Amino acid sequence: MTKPSIPVGIVCSQSGPYQAMGREILKAALMAVSEINDSADFDFRIAAHVRDPHGVIAEYHTVCDDLIRNAGAAHIIGCYTSASRKQVLPIVERTDRLLWYPARYEGFECSDNVIYVGASPNHNVLPLVRYVLDNISRHIFCVGSNYVWTWETNRVTRELVTAAQGSVLAERLLELGESAVEHIVDEIVRRKPPVVFNTLVGSSSYDFIRAFHAATTSAGLAIPMLSCSLCEPELKIVGPASAGCITSSAYFESIHLPENRAFVDRWKASHGETSCPSVDGQSAYVAVHLLARAIQRAGTADIGEVRRAAAGYRYDSPQGPVWIDGDNNHCVLTPRLAVSTAQGQFDIFWEADAPVKPDPYLSQLDVAAHPSRDRSSPNATHLRIVK
Amino acid sequence: MSKPSSFSLRGRKALVAIKDERDLSIVRRQFERLGIDIWNGGFDHASGRHADVILIDDEFLPLNPTMRRTLSGAGSVIALLGTETPSRLKLVFELDPASFLVKPLRSAGIYAALVMAFERSERTNELKQQIVKLEERLRSRRIVLAAVLQVMHSHAVAEPAAFALIRRAAMEQRKTIEQMSAEIAAKGNLPRATG
Repeated sequence: MTKPSIPVGIVCSQSGPYQAMGREILKAALMAVSEINDSADFDFRIAAHVRDPHGVIAEYHTVCDDLIRNAGAAHIIGCYTSASRKQVLPIVERTDRLLWYPARYEGFECSDNVIYVGASPNHNVLPLVRYVLDNISRHIFCVGSNYVWTWETNRVTRELVTAAQGSVLAERLLELGESAVEHIVDEIVRRKPPVVFNTLVGSSSYDFIRAFHAATTSAGLAIPMLSCSLCEPELKIVGPASAGCITSSAYFESIHLPENRAFVDRWKASHGETSCPSVDGQSAYVAVHLLARAIQRAGTADIGEVRRAAAGYRYDSPQGPVWIDGDNNHCVLTPRLAVSTAQGQFDIFWEADAPVKPDPYLSQLDVAAHPSRDRSSPNATHLRIVK
Repeated sequence: MSKPSSFSLRGRKALVAIKDERDLSIVRRQFERLGIDIWNGGFDHASGRHADVILIDDEFLPLNPTMRRTLSGAGSVIALLGTETPSRLKLVFELDPASFLVKPLRSAGIYAALVMAFERSERTNELKQQIVKLEERLRSRRIVLAAVLQVMHSHAVAEPAAFALIRRAAMEQRKTIEQMSAEIAAKGNLPRATG
């Protein structure tokens, strides 16, 4: 008997400044769709309708409108930057559709029409900055793309370092896709900050990391770099210059879990032995699986029913157990810290001992928290060091 | 000692007067996410004193006497607007709102309205304190003028020099110019040490 087909939109840019991540999201989402469609556990099939906004912000609204009107999609998986999510938000709210957003983001949003599958700010920026404050320096030089992700990440960073009697030494911003990074690298070499926090996105980040590595190596400087977004496919794009970046993420290919080993094996079988999954790709994969499980449990694709069925339902994903917090539609997941290697991988040196509840408004943030009292801190004595 | 983020609203107390159940449930959910407690003690004068912020639906306008008393001297007010017609907005002015939200409510906008209301309220309080200080200084200006005239006469100096003498005396005795002027006006001359 033929299974009924449920249309699901997939929106990710295959060209433009963050095309590399868009392609990763698409590959991972389609892999998950294929798994669902081949599985006997689901009594429906997902009909994936892929749309490419080409990295043009206004196009996101257009392609979602098309998906809703013409493809009949009640569920849309995708968007990468916050700017693209904000474009889609009005249309999914007005038409009561559900956007499954895979990327980590800066928080301070909580729409009933979005499931936030990626990391919240308490999952990524907090553990990273707390680790830096206690182990590297209280003075941080920030460089990022000129949009909301950087603005808010820098604000939280400033608040944390100021509470620790430290300082943000500089905030240097580049437009999305900008490649003229030399003046910032020159300033870094001249000022020799103890640590650089990179929130650049896509090609700007790759150009910056290469120039930063060349200039600091030439000057004999060893300045650690921080990131909340760098992932394995990007390490390959950047090359050996990307080694040594301290990165905060919920997913790394090197996670030692049977679910992840099996996922990586399937990934390499599909996309080639040298191909690597990424945090955003893995998150899109998780989004498809969470959606499919919720549809199966609800017995319908109706968004209200699916949202209720998704809340609190645990899925043992490649990154470990995840579930949607029904209070805020964000994902409960496990924060991790790792350092990138010359081989294009990450060595994980810390992870929380249990999945952490999302706090999109940072309402529980205690900027003066002592590490031993703060369960989200990588310096808490009760937490597990993974290495 | 714990210190919440400067943009955290955790632990704030809100008094809510919303008629529509759907709007009310959206506010409750969003407040829970933000760590804001809804004051359950009813809408009376005491509850107004306990609340940091009051969300009030424009459907309650014009306010009844109890509500008017509750709002007098209470925390920041956020008005919930059902219509933007000038006639309604005119009524909303009665609330002296620090911020507003447009109905039907959605979760987006509530956090921003709260942050703006608290910020507006803080700035208004600062301005009020500044006005009190300026009014005091304005009242004491007559006394300063009297003291300057007295010193001009007693020391046979021009106005700038008389004022400089008073200021120097005030600094030496660690008093304000207004306090020193009041003493000069009362005693009829400058303190001996500075004469």
